[in-house]
Formats: sequence, structure tokens, C-alpha cells
Amino acid sequence: MDITDAIAETTTPLPGDLGRDEVVDLRVHASVLPPPTARIVRLREVMRATPCSICLERPRLLRAFERSREGKLADKEHATIRRAKALRYVLQHRAPRIYDDELIVGNMSSKRIGANYYHEGISVNILEDIARLETRAVPLHLTAAEKRELLKLGLWGATRSIAARSLGRPGRLSHFAHLLRPRRYIVTEEAGISHQVGGYADVVQCGLIRVDSRAAACIASGLLENGSPANADQLAFFASVRIAVEGVVAMATHLAEACEARAAAATTTPERRDELRIIAAGCRHVPLHPARTLQEGLQACWLVHVALNLEDYEQGLSFGRLDQILGPLYARAVGASASATDVTATTHADTSRIVELLASFELKTCETIPLFSERVDMGFSGNTVGQAITLGGVDAAGDDATNPLSGLFLDAFAQIQTREPNMQVRVHAQTPEWFLHKAMAVVQLGSGSPALFGDAAIIGALQAVGVAEAHARDYAVIGCVEIASPGRTYNSSDAALINLPLCLELALNRGRQFPGPHGSRKQLGARTPPVAELLTFEDVVAAFRAQVVDAVDEVAQVLSWLEPCYRAHRTTPVNSMITEGCVESGRDVTWGGAMYDMTALQAVGLADTGDSLHALRRLVFDDKAMSLTAFVAILTTDFADQEPLRLRLQRRFEHYGNGDRRADEMTDLAANIYADAIGSHSNSRGGVWIPGFYSMTCGTSFGSVTGALPNGRHAGARLSNGFSPVDGSDASGPTALLRSAASLSTQRWANGGALNIKFDAHTVRGRVGRDALASLFRTYLVDQAGMQVQINVLDSETLRAAKLDPNAFPNLLVRVSGYCAYFNDLQPEIQDELIARTAHGVH
Amino acid sequence: MACTDPAASVGGASASPAPLIFAIQHFCIHDGPGTRSVVFFKGCPLRCQWCQNPESWRRETELAHKGHLCIDCDTCVDVCPTGALTAPGVWDPARCDLCLRCVDACPAAAMVRFGEPRSADDVLAALQPEFNLYRRSAGGVTLSGGEATLFVPLATEIAQRLKNQAIHSTLETCGLFKLAAVQPLLAAIDLVLFDLKLFDDEAHRAQCGAGNAGVKENLRALVRRAASGAGPRVWPRLPIIPGITSVADNVTGWASLLQEIGVRGVTLVPYHQFGAGKRSWLPDAPAAPELGALSPAELARSAAILAAHGVQSFAPGAEDWRLAGGVATRG
Ligand code: SF4
Ligand code: SF4
Repeated sequence: MDITDAIAETTTPLPGDLGRDEVVDLRVHASVLPPPTARIVRLREVMRATPCSICLERPRLLRAFERSREGKLADKEHATIRRAKALRYVLQHRAPRIYDDELIVGNMSSKRIGANYYHEGISVNILEDIARLETRAVPLHLTAAEKRELLKLGLWGATRSIAARSLGRPGRLSHFAHLLRPRRYIVTEEAGISHQVGGYADVVQCGLIRVDSRAAACIASGLLENGSPANADQLAFFASVRIAVEGVVAMATHLAEACEARAAAATTTPERRDELRIIAAGCRHVPLHPARTLQEGLQACWLVHVALNLEDYEQGLSFGRLDQILGPLYARAVGASASATDVTATTHADTSRIVELLASFELKTCETIPLFSERVDMGFSGNTVGQAITLGGVDAAGDDATNPLSGLFLDAFAQIQTREPNMQVRVHAQTPEWFLHKAMAVVQLGSGSPALFGDAAIIGALQAVGVAEAHARDYAVIGCVEIASPGRTYNSSDAALINLPLCLELALNRGRQFPGPHGSRKQLGARTPPVAELLTFEDVVAAFRAQVVDAVDEVAQVLSWLEPCYRAHRTTPVNSMITEGCVESGRDVTWGGAMYDMTALQAVGLADTGDSLHALRRLVFDDKAMSLTAFVAILTTDFADQEPLRLRLQRRFEHYGNGDRRADEMTDLAANIYADAIGSHSNSRGGVWIPGFYSMTCGTSFGSVTGALPNGRHAGARLSNGFSPVDGSDASGPTALLRSAASLSTQRWANGGALNIKFDAHTVRGRVGRDALASLFRTYLVDQAGMQVQINVLDSETLRAAKLDPNAFPNLLVRVSGYCAYFNDLQPEIQDELIARTAHGVH
Repeated sequence: MACTDPAASVGGASASPAPLIFAIQHFCIHDGPGTRSVVFFKGCPLRCQWCQNPESWRRETELAHKGHLCIDCDTCVDVCPTGALTAPGVWDPARCDLCLRCVDACPAAAMVRFGEPRSADDVLAALQPEFNLYRRSAGGVTLSGGEATLFVPLATEIAQRLKNQAIHSTLETCGLFKLAAVQPLLAAIDLVLFDLKLFDDEAHRAQCGAGNAGVKENLRALVRRAASGAGPRVWPRLPIIPGITSVADNVTGWASLLQEIGVRGVTLVPYHQFGAGKRSWLPDAPAAPELGALSPAELARSAAILAAHGVQSFAPGAEDWRLAGGVATRG
């Protein structure tokens, strides 16, 4: 054995070591991630090498439908029937594409990797970039003819967008402008609601035929299932479901035909011919009928997912708990009980084939990207749409539901490590060791995936907003961090983001921003009292509260204009047919048909706000170092000539994230003020408003328009992320950080939150690292009822970037035996040494 | 301030100044079994050239200046009541009465103190929030430094109180102590990480500032007691310092001794230079020697020599503790 490897990877023993990996132990066995098959390597490389593009098929077909005879006739029908027919037209007429090697078929667009174009939303923004599509940060490759067509279709669709329909009226235009240059908030619902985790369990077990026949029965009888008469809207809804099912079946059939044609081609190898015939048989059967095999189960989920993508908008369309949904089919495939945790029970060949199937499925999610102009992308970069797969967790009775498939989905992801899908792992007291260790093994690869979710905190938060216990226990992740009871919920989970620190700036200046290049001169917020009248800390808090309420109220106003437009113009029959409550009530999800309905607004810059409240309280009201007026005067000049004070606030004051109760309480206060403001609203579908704490990359865009903050943050600097501490402020290690995070009132955060924690790859390498991470996060998620954590294991390249930006990665954990130091505390030369260590894997 | 003569203080033989602790660091995964907190005591009888924690050497509170964080605001100079501090980072220890006003006033956290008197209550309070993690990871607390055996009463009280709560405790020691005086501490400890350096007595004196006769004697005694169940388990650790401890003769010397006394596992702690920068923070610490990087081959050769003597080598954190001599108190 090569000694260099032996030292680099402590799981591999030094010469003479007993060889602990040989100890027969299920946990150790399961932690080993199997290598990809040749097929998966080929598929992965194709996806990595393929440039991104835009698919114009959807708008092209929608425009063709509008101009067709069928489309003109549909003009006279109920709006939702018209919408369903347009979707059916797209699904029927889109060209099927079967790619080499894939085991799950169904092209997401006409391009191998392409963004679908949603004229109903904000896709038109891409026209801003039309002259530089190939040179953008995320280059998009289009032929000259395609660019001309994009322009044409863009102009056709612009007047049909939800924003034009809802805000393009006198009196509302200023809000329209705010959407273009967000400051206090950004209303993401303008783009689309999407963000759904549908009832894939029913799709797999019952097939769409069940919902179709239920709709058919209601139409035939003219009655709802409860026997009451159905009105015209309800009958139109049932018709829309049936039309949409027809469209999905047509798409599946065309894919089957394409597979059969390929199988018949002389150039196709016999092995591939067999594969294609199996796939074709599957597409002729699912998703209309119940899936008979694991492969058909995956195929059914995928086809419905594609239909959802084409129906309205693509963000956050998630699969839910695929390990639970497909568990019975897996058990049938291997002839064992799906609840058995003994993954060794299946033969190696079985497992390897199943992992290949799962990897092929997961790779399909890489076919789609979001279509954001660079301006919009500033707030939402990452080029991901957030297709989440949730694994592990408890069942309806509260018992562990982890099964072998839970681990195999992670194995498959480890083989591809692509930007999609989003892997989400649920953790509870009975989560098996082998599963958590496997999750940590994947985390060690450095892709930031899977994220971990604490069942106790999340189930509690959902129950607090009225979700029944059994349904809350069944939660799945939407997109990145949002949560829902799958197949029962319509949650506009990403409706808007609010700039919380800006509310504090406004509170300190009567509802206006501090002067400066970042600031708007307008009266942005409520006219709270002037600083001279804020005599106590409680007065400051009251002014802040008033500003938060004012910002949230304004978002409520904008959403109240959007919601009727959704009801009228953007109904979603596919989404509704996989959401419980809709067929029962005869209502589309946009009409409030779902069993649970919600709208969620996220706060950005939580820790910056909390730390600022703490700094302000301590400096002005406790230490009485200066008057509030004097301090605010310093803030309005962005700490000009006040660097010592600014540094003192940043380096010497207490901060959230260090296990310091006083600082943590201020962050919780900020979160609670926000949650109070959110909780006072409801949406027009009859659903509750719920708060979430994540930022996307809005921390950068909101930060650029936010003034200096009492915690020493300069005007224009980016804001803290999710419920993570402020960059540069947590210096007490991961245990203190997680304790602080767990101390927040997350039981009120029904839309979840994002916490980032960073480690140096060298520190947490090998089995020692896995053991340490597993026990660390079990303590946080189980003992402390923590809600969520995303773990970033940083390689040497990232560490180099950290060095250049001293405040970027201060909470990076570096550990060397017997050595006492923090990364950010070290001189640049020593940081270089540490980086070199990580780069070479030596020591 | 008087400078401590390293040879004058030997573990267990302490009286005077109140014990100081310069750091408590959590989530340490290379300093004993599982995930641990390390309590760093201030004061050490040795002065190893390659030491990674030079702030641990002296037993007294020390001022230090992190030049790279300083913004030259002169606040420290302005607040110094004795006139000891004449410019950022420049002070006369003879005139300084350690009032720490400069530390309190420094906005940039550049002027810092090393060493704080902390009671057992205080240390336990800092450790208590970590107890769940120790239990979940089969970890605990490591008393390190510096040299914890210089402070037997405090170290013993901490270890005993941990033991009362069934928390595993480890002592990391340089091995230079008076065995009888350290007895109470050993009685409360579960595991001793015993650091070996130079095998040759003269070389040890030259590199570490004191001879090693006592170290070897203590090692033999501790291993013997562990074997008979009369003391904590013992696990040696050998820092592999390029050209110093890594030379074949040195490793062979230790390997023979370990073989002779029946030790079966050792940790090879690879040398790194991360402590070098900290020396410039301290006014009178000598610069770290230029040793160059450790090559994997040197590490491999050391492991091979030890293996030839029946002693298995491990990377820090990856030890198979079942090989530790003696009787486990738990697990
Ligand atoms: S500790 Fe006090 S006396 Fe010593 S340098 Fe600092 S301010 Fe001056
Ligand atoms: S007070 Fe701190 S930052 Fe200012 S000169 Fe002194 S050491 Fe430097």
C-alpha cells in the first residue's frame, strides 16, 4: 500500500494497524460508497460536458395552440379548461427524445440541458441578456435563429405575464418598479408558485387512473364526492384534471414509441434493445397505471415531474420521500423486507443494478436549469431549480422508517455529485448509525449535500400551524429547506423575501434609509419616531417592529394582487391532481383546494439584525458609551473615521453563534418580531402565512442596498445567510454555533431555515471525521432539537479564497492534534500552511 | 515579570502562582478517544524547539500582540497607566503591572492576554454543555497544556468531577513529573497520552530544555501500573519532527523501549509549522526553527521501525484504543 494514501486517509490504517475496517460491522460496511458503473460515468460526463441552453418548445407550442382552431374554440371555455387544453397540446406535441444509456426516459426540454421558458412568469427578463448570452456567468448557447425566435416569443408572452396582469395598472406600478430593484423585499411569487412536493406515493401505487376516474365520476353525476352538487367551476376543474391526464399519457406514449423505434434500429446493440423495450413497456403502463417494478416507479415519478415542469414553473418541484414511496417496489425487486436495515442481505449485483437505476434517475434532474437574467441571478444564483429528494425519518406512527433504499439513493448521488437533485436527510432519535454515517461519507465529498433536517423541530413546527401529527411526521423537503406534508399541501413556500436589517436601518431614520450610494431617498417605511425620541431600548425595538410590520404589510398587498391572477390565469391541474383535497373539493390548488394551504415569506439577514440589536443595546443603553443620536450619526456616515469603534463592535462585542445567551436572545427577538408580523396574515386561498429563514443569495443583493449596521457591518456588505451567524463573528467552534442555532424559537418557523457550517476537509477526513460529524449532528438535531444544517467541507481551493477574504470563512473549523487556534486568527503565512496541508492530504 | 526557568518547575512539584488556563477548545477529534474538549493549562517544564503552543510555556499571565490584526490606533498606548506600553506591540515587562487595560481597550482584538485563573467550577461550567456530545461520541475531556501535572490540585478536581458524571478524562503529558505528587491526578484519570520526544538524554536536554531520565522512568512506572490495573491506561505519542525525532536511531530507541515494556500501539503525530506564527505574538519567544515539511517517507519509515518491534502506529484520532495497556474503566 502507498504510504501517502495511508496518511492522507485515516480510515486506511498505517502499516501495522489492526485494520479496523476489516472488523465486520454493518455500519462500516455501509459507509463505503460503491463506485459508479461505466454507464453512470458516461452519463455523468455527458451532463458535465453539455452546455446550457434555452428551450423554446414550450412557448412555441403554447403560441401555436393559441392560434390553432382548438385554441380559438377553447377561448370560449372556462379558463381552467383552456389552460388544461394548452398543457395537453404541449404534452401531445413536444418531441420525445431518448438519450444513450439512460434507464429512465422523458426529456425535460428539447435541449439536453435547457431552461424551460415560462412567459407567465419572469422568463422575459432573459431578453436583458440577449446580446451576451454566451458570455454570462452562466453561459447559454443559442443559434442566431433561436435568438430571433426567443425575441419574438418573448414579446408575445410579455403581456401575458402575471406581473403585467396584476401590477400593470395605475397605482400599482411603483411596486412593479420595486420588483426590478428590490430593497425591502422581493416578491418571488411574481415568477411562479411552483415549489411543490406532490403525492408521488399515489402516483406510484394507484396510477393517475384513480384520480382520473374520480374526476370522471363527479362529472358524470354532477356531484362532488360528498354528494353535494358541483358548480360550474368545480365541473371545469374536474374536466381540467381529465384533460391533463390525457396529455401526460400522450407524452408517455410518444416516449414509448420513440424507445421502440430506437430498439428497432439496426445500430442498436442487443443489450440496449432489451433495455429500451423494458423502458417502452414501462412508459405504456405508467404513470396511468400502478407501477409494477422499481424502474416503473421511478419512471412514473419522473413523467409526472416533467408534466409539472411544463405546466407552470419549475422552481422547487420536489419528489418527496422516494425511499418510502418506492420501498415496497424495492423489496419486491430484491425479495426482502424493505424495512430490514441489513443492506448486506441483497446480493452485490442486485444492489449495483439498483444504484445504477437510481443514479440514472438522479441524473435526469440535471436536464433543467432556471432561466434568470444576470440581474435576477444576483439574488438567486447557483443555477439550480431545487428538485429535492427526502430520505430517512419517521413514519406516521413515529417509528424509524429508514430502509435500504434510503442509503442507496445516497450511494447513487455520491457517484454523480451534480448540482441537482437536492439530497435531504431526516434525522431523529432512532436514525440508524449506518445511515447517518453514509450521509456523512457523502458530505465528506464536499458537494454540500445532503443537508440534514431534525424531525423533532420540523414536525413540531408543522403541527403548530395545524398540520395533523401523522401528516407532519410524513414531511418532505421542498427545494432547499422548505417543508411540507407531501401530497397534501399547497405552500407558496417561496412567495417573498424580506430584508430584515433594512427594517432596522429604517427604524433608526424615521422610515428612510441613511444617505449614501446604497440608499434610496424615498420614504420606504413607516414614519416611526425620530431617534431623539427613542429613549429606551424598548423604544428602538418598537420602531423596528413597526418597520417589519410595514414591510410585511406591503408584501401582503402585492400578493393580494397576484393571487387572483393565479386563480384566473395560472391554474395547475397536474399539481392539483397530486394534491389531496383538490378532487374532494373540486378546486384547483390555486383556488384553495389543498388540504393544507400556506404562503411563506423568508427573512434575510437574521443574525445581522440580532447582532445589531445586541450591539446597540450594549453600547448605548448598557455601557452608555454614547447617545443613540451620536451612534446613529456614525452609522449614517458608514463609520467614517470610526474604524476603531467599528472593529470593536465586530471583534469585541458578543455575537450570535458563540453560545452566548445574551447575543442569541437578541437574534431570537428579531426572529420572533418577524414571525409575529408574518403570523398576522393569511392568504386569499384561506391558508396561513408562515415564516422561513433562508436567503438564497439575496444576502448579496439586499446587502448591496442596505446601510451600515450597529454590529459594525459596512454599508453595502452582504448580509448574514439563513440563520447562520454573521461571517466573521463565530469563533467558539461548531458545538457553540449549533447550540446557539438550536436555542432559537424554530418551533415557529413552519417554512424552515438554513444553517451553514464549514469544515476544513483535512480536519474531518476519513472515518474519524465521519464519526465526529455524525455524533456532532445527532447531538444537535436530536438532543438539542435543531432544525436544519448544511455542511460544507471545504477543499484547498475554497480555503485559498477564504484567505483572500478574511471575513468570509472565519467560522471554518481547523483542528490539529494538541494545537490551539482559529483559522481567522492566524497570520496569512500560517493559513497558507493549512491550505497546503489540505491540498496535499499530508499530515 | 520574572521569566520562568523551565528546569525549576517540574510537574507535581508546584506551589505558588494560581493555575492559569489559556484556552478550552471543543470538538477536538485527535486528542484521545471520540470527540473531546481540550483544557490547555498554562506552564510547561519543557521548551521543545518545535512547540506548537508557545503561549503555553510560562505559568504567568502574558500579554501578547497579534501584529496582523493591529490597526495602529495607539489606544493601548493611551490607556497604559504605567507607561510600560510605548508603541503598539512594544512594552517593557519590567514596568508592566498586568493591569490589562490595554487588552480591554484594544478595539481590534490585537492586544490579548494568555492565561486566566479559572476555578474547577468555572471549567466544569464551560465543559458541561458538551457532555451530550462526549457521550454520543464516546469522547470526553483531555487535560493538556502546557503541562497539566504542574497543577495537580485543580487538574485532579476537574478530572474527579468529570468521573463523578461518568465523563471520560485523558491526561496529555510530557512525562516530566514527580510520580508520587501526581498520584491523586492519576487516580482520577482514565487515559494518559504520554508524549515521547528524544530518546537520547543529551539530545532531549538540547532540544527540550531538560533531560529525559525522569520521563522514561515515569513511562515504565505508568505502563507497569496500568498493566496491573493500578493506574490509568497509557498510550504513547511520538511527534515526528523532521531531522530531530524522525531520525532512525531515535525511533529505534523508543521502539525498543516500548517493545520491552509491552506497549503495542503508538500515535505518530506529524510535525506541522502552524505554531510558528504564534511566536511573533509573544515578546520574548525565540523564533521557531526552520525544519521544512515532513515527508510521508519519514513517517512511513518511523512506522516501519515501530512495526518491526511489534508496535503499531496510528495517525492522531485513528488509534485503536483496545491496544492501550491496562484495564479500561469503561467501554
Ligand atoms: S497591562 Fe497595563 S501596565 Fe501592562 S502594558 Fe497593558 S496597560 Fe500597560
Ligand atoms: S489598541 Fe490594539 S489595535 Fe490599537 S494600536 Fe494597540 S494593539 Fe493595535
